[in-house]
Amino acid sequence: MTAAATQVPALTLAGLGFTYGATAVLSNLDLEVYSGEVVACVGPSGCGKSTLLALLGGHLRPTRGTVTPTGASRTIYQDGGLYPWLTVAANVALGVPRAVDDRARAARVADWLARSGLADFADHYPHQLSGGMRQRVELGRALVADTAVLLLDEPFSALDYQTRLSMRRELAATLAERPRTVVLVTHDIEEAVQLADRIVVLSARPATVRRVLTLPPGRPRAPNAPGVADAEQTILEELGLS
Amino acid sequence: MPSRPVAPLWRWTLPLAVGATLVGAWALASATGQFPRGTVPAPAAVARAFATELRSGRLLDDIVASLYRVSFGFAIACAAAIPAGLALGRSAVARAAFLPWVNFFRTLSPIAWIPFAIIWFGIGDAPAIFLIFLATFFQVTLATLGASAAVPRVYYRVAADLGLSSRQVLLEVTLPAILPQLLVALRVAIGVAWMVVVVAEMIAVRSGLGFLIIDARNGLRMDLVVVGMITIGAIGIGLDALFARLARAPMLRWGSER
Repeated sequence: MTAAATQVPALTLAGLGFTYGATAVLSNLDLEVYSGEVVACVGPSGCGKSTLLALLGGHLRPTRGTVTPTGASRTIYQDGGLYPWLTVAANVALGVPRAVDDRARAARVADWLARSGLADFADHYPHQLSGGMRQRVELGRALVADTAVLLLDEPFSALDYQTRLSMRRELAATLAERPRTVVLVTHDIEEAVQLADRIVVLSARPATVRRVLTLPPGRPRAPNAPGVADAEQTILEELGLS
Repeated sequence: MPSRPVAPLWRWTLPLAVGATLVGAWALASATGQFPRGTVPAPAAVARAFATELRSGRLLDDIVASLYRVSFGFAIACAAAIPAGLALGRSAVARAAFLPWVNFFRTLSPIAWIPFAIIWFGIGDAPAIFLIFLATFFQVTLATLGASAAVPRVYYRVAADLGLSSRQVLLEVTLPAILPQLLVALRVAIGVAWMVVVVAEMIAVRSGLGFLIIDARNGLRMDLVVVGMITIGAIGIGLDALFARLARAPMLRWGSER
């Protein structure tokens, strides 16, 4: 699914600005994220990418402009978003909406654990898992809610390279099965190019949209897929790194 | 550099061997008349006093009296201190107003309160419980505040995403998140409470292990004084081991293994 196919806005940012104390973090950001689209935000380190995601998730209020979400969202954090005092199954169960009754909740958790290959680890605690498994559980806790919008804050950056690649593949497969609107904040240009339909390049702080790149359909993209090398080169140029 | 762990067998035999050596040296010194008369009782005299006190039931009564005062004072101190620490953690104004006073009273020795404890509460359990409350309340308040300040912000963002109510956030996020750190503080606090109860019982009551010691001294029964000391030390180790064991519960182990 690509942006062009639907064009129904799921998230609208209009003139968005955020100032923390005397520091302007974001300035005059305009962007529409369409339903079912994966948008990656890349930018220089410390440019306010995580602040942008906190605004999209409703954890911060904009000091200027507006964020208009069309429904609930779930955020997946870099590392440590799981509750360490709860087992894998209990962490995932927390993700199921409150309205769901206990039996249906348990069934949904068991189904997700089985599909993600974590059934044997249901009673383990997060500190007993590898980094990749922990991120899979985070993903699970967000996915069992079935919200239309997923916000990913550097979700795989704490993982080793091989695990990162397989997690990207898993995410792409999950989105192919059940399309959702995704905003992915990452410092990893390769990750952005492999997973996103569009890439928003942000400027240094106060961040504003420098450029928006649209990629050819199909994700995850192989490193030699058409458009990948060009997109990576363009982003590096925009960030002044080439 | 961390040293290598000790094999399980040695963990029991080593301290017993050290204890046996100390008692052996004590017995030898007593038998050969190294201590001036009446200053240090012989191990055999202490053992006999132990047996007599146990048989008469007096020792057990004193243990129960001391443990009751400590657990009651400690429980009400925690019941008040944990909510107080959480409230301070939530409000910068409350911290500015109260934190210097919490520190003021925390560093004030509970022993200094003994005159007031007796004037206000008379003789009996109440003054001892009051002193234990003072000895632990301020410590546990500060520990709760410190632990709640250390809870990662991401836990609260996740809670907001999951739609938890403020009551659920308190019970299902904040409390379990502070528990491992809080338990360490409670372990220290119960040790202090146990020390304070002995002092309180020397002055304000006529039962308990502290009273046993002061009463034995008044009768020049140094063998009984040692019985009291050994009992106090053994129960202190037991209380500490209890809290150490709690910290190994599955839902708390993350605090030490993360």
